[in-house]
Amino acid sequence: MTTISFPLAAGSRSRNRYVAGLRTWRGVTGLVLVGTVALAGLLAPWLTDADPDAQGPQALAAPSGDHPLGTDDIGRDLLSRVLHGILTDLSIILTAVPAGALIGAALALLAGTSRAADLVVQRLFDLVLSFPGLILGLAVTAILGPGRWPVVIIIALAEVPYFGRQLRAGVLVQREREYALAARVGGAGRARVLLRHVLPNAVDPLIVQGAVALSVGVFIEGALSFLGLGVRPPEPTLGSLISGSVAYLDTDPVLAAAPLAVTTALVLGFTLLAEALNRGARS
Amino acid sequence: MRTFLFKRLPSALAVLVAASFTVFLMLRLIPGDPATTLAGPDASPATIAAIRERLGLDAPLLSQYVHWLGQVLAGDLGPSYAIGGQVSELIGDGLAATVQLTVASLLLVVVLAVPTALYAVSGRRRALAGALRALTTGALAVPPFVTGVVLVLVFAVGLGLLPAGGHASLFDAPDLAVQYLALPALCLALPSAAILARYLQDGLERALGEDYVRTATALGVPRRRILWRHALPNALPSAVTVLGLQIGQLIAGAVVVERIFAWPGLGQLIEQGVSRRDYPVVQDLLLLVVAGYVAVQLLTDLLYSWLDPRVRWE
Repeated sequence: MTTISFPLAAGSRSRNRYVAGLRTWRGVTGLVLVGTVALAGLLAPWLTDADPDAQGPQALAAPSGDHPLGTDDIGRDLLSRVLHGILTDLSIILTAVPAGALIGAALALLAGTSRAADLVVQRLFDLVLSFPGLILGLAVTAILGPGRWPVVIIIALAEVPYFGRQLRAGVLVQREREYALAARVGGAGRARVLLRHVLPNAVDPLIVQGAVALSVGVFIEGALSFLGLGVRPPEPTLGSLISGSVAYLDTDPVLAAAPLAVTTALVLGFTLLAEALNRGARS
Repeated sequence: MRTFLFKRLPSALAVLVAASFTVFLMLRLIPGDPATTLAGPDASPATIAAIRERLGLDAPLLSQYVHWLGQVLAGDLGPSYAIGGQVSELIGDGLAATVQLTVASLLLVVVLAVPTALYAVSGRRRALAGALRALTTGALAVPPFVTGVVLVLVFAVGLGLLPAGGHASLFDAPDLAVQYLALPALCLALPSAAILARYLQDGLERALGEDYVRTATALGVPRRRILWRHALPNALPSAVTVLGLQIGQLIAGAVVVERIFAWPGLGQLIEQGVSRRDYPVVQDLLLLVVAGYVAVQLLTDLLYSWLDPRVRWE
């Protein structure tokens, strides 16, 4: 079957610009950092035999053949905990960020249907944004208690207004473009114009927001772990590994070094990717 | 100013009322009844009912909400459920410590960001300006808990210059208090300083490309004077807006930073309140933070129109 498509030229050109943005030093460094960390997490079962939650006889052991990074305060293998911690963080942010983006996008499209809906949705975004970042998270954990799903919900909720506002702005611009008017003149209904014509052309800026949101997700997970309101122990996360190391900073700084390095690499990688994509889009 | 009072103020109040109602409802959704928790495991139903009545938990939701708002406006927040003591006193003590920390970091933000941005656009030593730019990217990208741990590792464990955590009264032992304050304030300030430096630098660069700067240069006005008298005043309004938004981030960031450096502020209180299900403490604190945030944004808008007379409240 042959598909002929031509009217989306604007969309595909902008997508090429994002790819061009990734080919800069920022984009490549970001991809390498995120890729390395993610790969290390995904290959965790093959990179180490140690069970991340199994306690051994030696607490706070120095790095050795058995424990390449040593052990933590109750004798668990640090390498295994760091690798599995990456996996926990990735699974949290890769659930939460798409969920936040979808809800934000759905609300933005809803706002595009009528003035009244637009007003309600905008106030809803304002309400969420009137709680500065983490404070919203505290309110949610007050209701749900600590755990993995509350963390996912907090990250998703915090991102909803950002994705929503961005898409809403795009929809408002694209809706007045000639192709959208042409589609309406051609007899397409409101919903069809919004979903088939406007949405595909307004969705691109969300890519940049997505990269930013992933790094914010790591922030929020770590902050909640620090407050003892994050994923429940013994499951390792990057945040809980760092917060667990604070008590031993003066005697065993190695305990902090590995999770610090991994977290920094991951967050820096996402930030560089976001910047590369953003620069690409604006060039 | 009149339009400000009639338009901006009511909408800020509306956000506050909506937020207060959300906070109130959210905490009623918590599974588990505080009266049951307070009464202990072996309490009889009669005791629990008595406690419910004493706390006013048996009243209809809306009247509980109105009662709470009345308390807040009167400044008497009643006793806490689990932590002990009067909520007003708990909040007062925490607020003093948190305000010290946030004000100190706000000062640091300005002290770090403004010279960085001015230096970056001054045109001297491009390599250093580039390095500063890379540094701001780093400061932006790294979460505060990472910066905090690194700061402790370097300044407390490695160099032994500053204490790793704790708090001293600013009035009883000022020199000790400043030592305790230094690391948490720096940790809290870094990301916001990076953001402010970026915005200010962009604003300055944009202002330097304007016609009036070209005219001034052609007239032989020295570069330094152009930067300070022409570019800076025009870049300031948007920088002030960014700073206003950052104050909210500072309040939120304080929660984590206080934890790392054992700083006895609102962050610790809110955390205790959440983990021990102390309704009144959490409810009042959340409202306080949101109110503070909304107030700061109002002030920012006022300041903006004062700095940039072109902005009128239409």
